[in-house]
Amino acid sequence: MTESIKLAGGLFDGYRGILGLRLLALLPVSIAALLNTGYQYLKRLALDPASAGDDIRGKIARGLGAGYADAGVYDWLAAGMAHLLPMLALALLTGAFWEWLIARGRGLPPARGFVLIALLFTLLLPGAAPFYHIVFGMSFAILLGSAIFGGDGRTFLSPALLGFAIVQVSFPNVDGAHPLWQGLTGYAGSDAISLFHRGSEAALADAGIDLGSAFVGSVSGSMGTTSVLAVAIGAMLLLVTRVIAWRLLLAQLIGLTVVASLFNLLGDGSGAGAMPAYWHLLLGSFAFGAVFLACDPVASCCTNPGRWIQGLLIGALVVLIRVVNANHPDAVIPAMLLASILAPLIDQAVIALNIRQRARRHV
Amino acid sequence: MQGARMPGLTDLEARNVTRAALLGRDYRGVNFEMLCAEGDQVQAGAALMRDSRRPEILICAPRAGRIDRVVRGARRRLVAVQIEIDDGLGAISHAAPSNREPGTLRRFLLETGSWSSLRTRPFGNIPHPHAEPAAIFVTALDTEPMAPEAQPIIDAYLDEFRAAVVLLSAISAAPLYVCHAPGHELAFAESRKIRCVPFSGGYSAGLPGTHIHALCPIGFAGGEVWHLGYQDVIALGHLLLQGSPWLQRVISLGGSAVRNPRSLLVPPGASIDEILVGELFDPPFRILAGSQIFGRPLAASERFLGAGQRQITALDISAIDEDEAAPRRAPLIPSERLERVAPPGIYAVPLMRALQVGDAERARELGALELGEEDLAPLSHACFSGSDYGKLLRHVLEQLEGGH
Repeated sequence: MTESIKLAGGLFDGYRGILGLRLLALLPVSIAALLNTGYQYLKRLALDPASAGDDIRGKIARGLGAGYADAGVYDWLAAGMAHLLPMLALALLTGAFWEWLIARGRGLPPARGFVLIALLFTLLLPGAAPFYHIVFGMSFAILLGSAIFGGDGRTFLSPALLGFAIVQVSFPNVDGAHPLWQGLTGYAGSDAISLFHRGSEAALADAGIDLGSAFVGSVSGSMGTTSVLAVAIGAMLLLVTRVIAWRLLLAQLIGLTVVASLFNLLGDGSGAGAMPAYWHLLLGSFAFGAVFLACDPVASCCTNPGRWIQGLLIGALVVLIRVVNANHPDAVIPAMLLASILAPLIDQAVIALNIRQRARRHV
Repeated sequence: MQGARMPGLTDLEARNVTRAALLGRDYRGVNFEMLCAEGDQVQAGAALMRDSRRPEILICAPRAGRIDRVVRGARRRLVAVQIEIDDGLGAISHAAPSNREPGTLRRFLLETGSWSSLRTRPFGNIPHPHAEPAAIFVTALDTEPMAPEAQPIIDAYLDEFRAAVVLLSAISAAPLYVCHAPGHELAFAESRKIRCVPFSGGYSAGLPGTHIHALCPIGFAGGEVWHLGYQDVIALGHLLLQGSPWLQRVISLGGSAVRNPRSLLVPPGASIDEILVGELFDPPFRILAGSQIFGRPLAASERFLGAGQRQITALDISAIDEDEAAPRRAPLIPSERLERVAPPGIYAVPLMRALQVGDAERARELGALELGEEDLAPLSHACFSGSDYGKLLRHVLEQLEGGH
């Protein structure tokens, strides 16, 4: 047998196993999120100690002993936890409440999928997101993203993606410009791509963003999306265990590279059109979205040709929106949402083609 | 899960049993008309039943003996005809067919009961005596985990195997494909209609569905193909060369509850309980007819070797976590794991979804007519939803069959 078929139960077997693996893959991302959120917060605080204000998260950070003077790993972690953990706890609580209520109404035991949704959703948020936005977004994610389709694994969109998209369009002008969050433009993510738009690589360098820091993730941005390194580690785990489809991931990278290169070659050399493909990959939330949102097994194509098409589409759309629409610098969320909605249609077309081919050679 | 190597047939332990049976469920769609009654003494190869709608189709006694019980289930469905073996009663002998006309050959197959080992794809029925297949497939390899290897058995009965293949190739105008393992060279100079095709690559390589998909895909134009297993071919060859039924089958005994996994020579239809006496570790265990992948649990009255069954699997279930029975039905999560165990050329997830919702038309378009239950057994294991795709496929096939 080339393909061994597991019959016995193991730690990462079954539906719970897939959930467990996806949570495990988010572990490096979460650690990077803690460190960078704390790092960004303390870096800014060191410049302007008076700006701390009486924000609850700032108070917790002080309570944990996170100091901005000579801040080290502990301080970053403590300050990061002070931001991420209350938001995650609230997202979990909101998710658990709705799951409990729905399970009660349906007479079923509550599902566990909300844990993954809450973590993904929280990691997409900037560190200063107001608490009521979290309740609002998570409620949409659970109710509209998952429950009305029958719950975990029966949806056709990634619930976290949907929840976040709704927050993004509902509060486009949120004051992400809390004095402590330099470089963030509310829910649109970091303004690094806008910087490139205006002043190309020199503007990035002025803001302290180079290839190394963008790869490791020590730049401003939504909490979980800055570190391409951490995302890559999680992606490895998901690829090796075949939870996500390598074709879909590779196709996204190809789509991104090809369209970015086309703009580089054919564009007028200004704005984000001049941005090379590697910056498209490193800046914004493309890497995070490509691995954890677009490759959601339930919300993506389930035929191999469909995966190639969907991936190319996402990569191309992200670059296209980034270049053409300067008001939507990150573009990852709408591109993935659109591709996800199109996934069943793409599959349908692939299957129709396959059926036609079968019909031709059958007796 | 590597199959145990066969030491060679001469070394095989023959296991004799006192009871054998024919099982009703092995003959889908047959409306049984009994030609025997409880208490009758029958010779091996005597016709015990026929299909009342197609009375040429006979089902014959696997061994000589006394009809002990005719077990019926719900709605008087025939469950089993149990025989107390008494070899002293002898066997019915048949003269080899006098000429090579398809009609004569078919009559020989029908009269000896060998016709009932043919199966159609789609649907898995016994073919109609006057039907014309688009192709005939002989499955001359076995890729089920721990199944006996086909090659040494075929080699040991090579004359019978060849004679039967040549005969089968002459019953219709269609080509006959002998699907074998790579390295097992079989060549037939007798007829240009016989084509030997090697298949490799895991579980699915040994399934008729895979062979049919590769060589003669069906499902859109209403055609059908026939297939049968290599031991049925040998049994036919035995009738042809020796004039009497083959009274043995080779099966393997495997699984975690078996003390000494090995292959055995046993009577066709032999009582599984008798075969297993002294072979198992302590209970609890679960006994499956077939392999670990495509094995069916057995009701007490059906604990006999089925038609074409080549293995018995006994699993130690003391270690199996019974709380695996999920409190909430898990969803179908698409993944490449599913695609890797799916039959070749089939879009696994769309087919599984179509089967789950019972969309027969979509399932047909996706290739369901080429498939049998065994093709989908690995998917049932790999999917977390707990769906039995073999059973769902059967529902869909029944709908499609009704609509034909």
